[in-house]
Amino acid sequence: MTNDIVLRVENLWKSYGKLQVLRGVSFTVRRGEVKVIIGPSGSGKSTLLRCINLLVRPDKGRIELEGHEVFPRPSMSISKIRERIGFVFQQFNLFMHLTALDNVRIGLIKVKKMSKEEATKKAIEALRMVGIDESLWNKYPAQLSGGQQQRVAIARAIAMEPSIILMDEPTSALDPELVGEVLKVIEKLAKQRKTMLIVTHELDFALEAADEIMVLDHGVIVEKGTPEEILRHPKHERTRKFIERIARRTQI
Amino acid sequence: MNPIAFFEPLRPYIGVILSGLPTTLILTFGGFGIGLLIGPLLAFLEVYGPTWVSRIATAIEETIRGIPLLVILFLVFFGLPSIGIQLSPIASAIIAIGIRSFAYQSQIIRSAILSIPRGQWEAALSLGMSPVEAFINVIAPQAFRIAIPGLVNQFTIDLKDTSLAYAIGVAELFTQSVHVAQVILDYMPPLVFVALIYFVLTYSASLGAGFLYKKLSIPGLGGGQQA
Ligand SMILES: Nc1ncnc2c1ncn2[C@@H]1O[C@H](COP(=O)(O)OP(=O)(O)O)[C@@H](O)[C@H]1O
Ligand SMILES: [Mg+2]
Repeated sequence: MTNDIVLRVENLWKSYGKLQVLRGVSFTVRRGEVKVIIGPSGSGKSTLLRCINLLVRPDKGRIELEGHEVFPRPSMSISKIRERIGFVFQQFNLFMHLTALDNVRIGLIKVKKMSKEEATKKAIEALRMVGIDESLWNKYPAQLSGGQQQRVAIARAIAMEPSIILMDEPTSALDPELVGEVLKVIEKLAKQRKTMLIVTHELDFALEAADEIMVLDHGVIVEKGTPEEILRHPKHERTRKFIERIARRTQI
Repeated sequence: MNPIAFFEPLRPYIGVILSGLPTTLILTFGGFGIGLLIGPLLAFLEVYGPTWVSRIATAIEETIRGIPLLVILFLVFFGLPSIGIQLSPIASAIIAIGIRSFAYQSQIIRSAILSIPRGQWEAALSLGMSPVEAFINVIAPQAFRIAIPGLVNQFTIDLKDTSLAYAIGVAELFTQSVHVAQVILDYMPPLVFVALIYFVLTYSASLGAGFLYKKLSIPGLGGGQQA
């Protein structure tokens, strides 16, 4: 059963100077699971995701990916670890000098060392999957809407066939009318049982797609449970208030 | 004023002035070329090197940018012989212009690299690229496009400043025009003529740059938009 665990995070700590951002975070993600993290701004959500793919170095704790140690003693090169962890950023971060197609292809060619034909085939498959059709393949990021850019960014991540995909508020930089198209793509990935860890405040989406919601507050997971439990019957007063606040904001 | 009459006294000497053109071009391309070899390397060390390397690189860059070109030129031509390095006037001029050019080029390229949002770098690493691969595949192509206008501008500055080689007796355009002035006992026609040549040269460089922007143009990215 343990080999079913894709990501294991144990007692993770991180401070910036005096500011303790993560204070002993532990959880696991199993294959095919979708876990959602919610929590107030500044609670350490981004830092947590960035520790997992080592964009930020944790201070203490342990991270394992498919049974291989990632931190503190990486059992393979850091780039190999990152290759196996997809990352979708709030600000998309598409490569500005590359077309949509090349954005998806570049990792396949430069990192996975695929031939150009093979990479093109795979990239097109991924772009189709996120609903980016042929007319957009040769457009540069600046020529795409935010929703299109984020879908290309998702295609770039899934084309690499990572063991897990981390998403950091994938829809919060989008105009409200573009949020739906991106959530639809993420829901589709969830239905295909892609393993994902998603920071989001889209509660309807979480209710629909998440197997579990974890609530992060001041660097600690204060509660976790099924979406029903967390959203309808939160144990903590702070959680309840926080959820009400987001719910109000998204209804308006 | 009738331009033909104005340039009339110059007519027998136009060939003499133009004989300085190849030397001017050699100094320009040589100096700028040295800059293009060393400048990006220095910029790379400043941005990515360990702290002490980065500090040294910045110190070199700022020191050189603080010294007048004429002083560098004299140091190379008249100064170096005292430590046993004797260079021809042309070699001295190329090296002096190259030294000054690399200091400015490294500044141009460094700020181009630093203007690229951190997210580009993070996205490249997240795909599994090593830092070197991220630099080659993502940062460098963007930084280069952003740096083009600044580099072209530096090229035109280097071109114009080759005229300082007059001070150590290099027979480039300006030196030749001064010699002609001394022969015909009138400074105005040869200097206006040589000014026009410099203008035509720098103007064509800008035109060429415009063409380069267009060719490399990418929507939403740096230099490409100015075309
Ligand atoms: N590189 C950094 N240096 C210093 N402080 C940081 C840095 N990154 C994040 N922080 C601080 O850490 C806290 C948690 O940030 P973050 O993980 O981005 O929270 P969240 O994503 O939940 O909003 C914030 O107070 C933030 O200001
Ligand atoms: Mg965040």
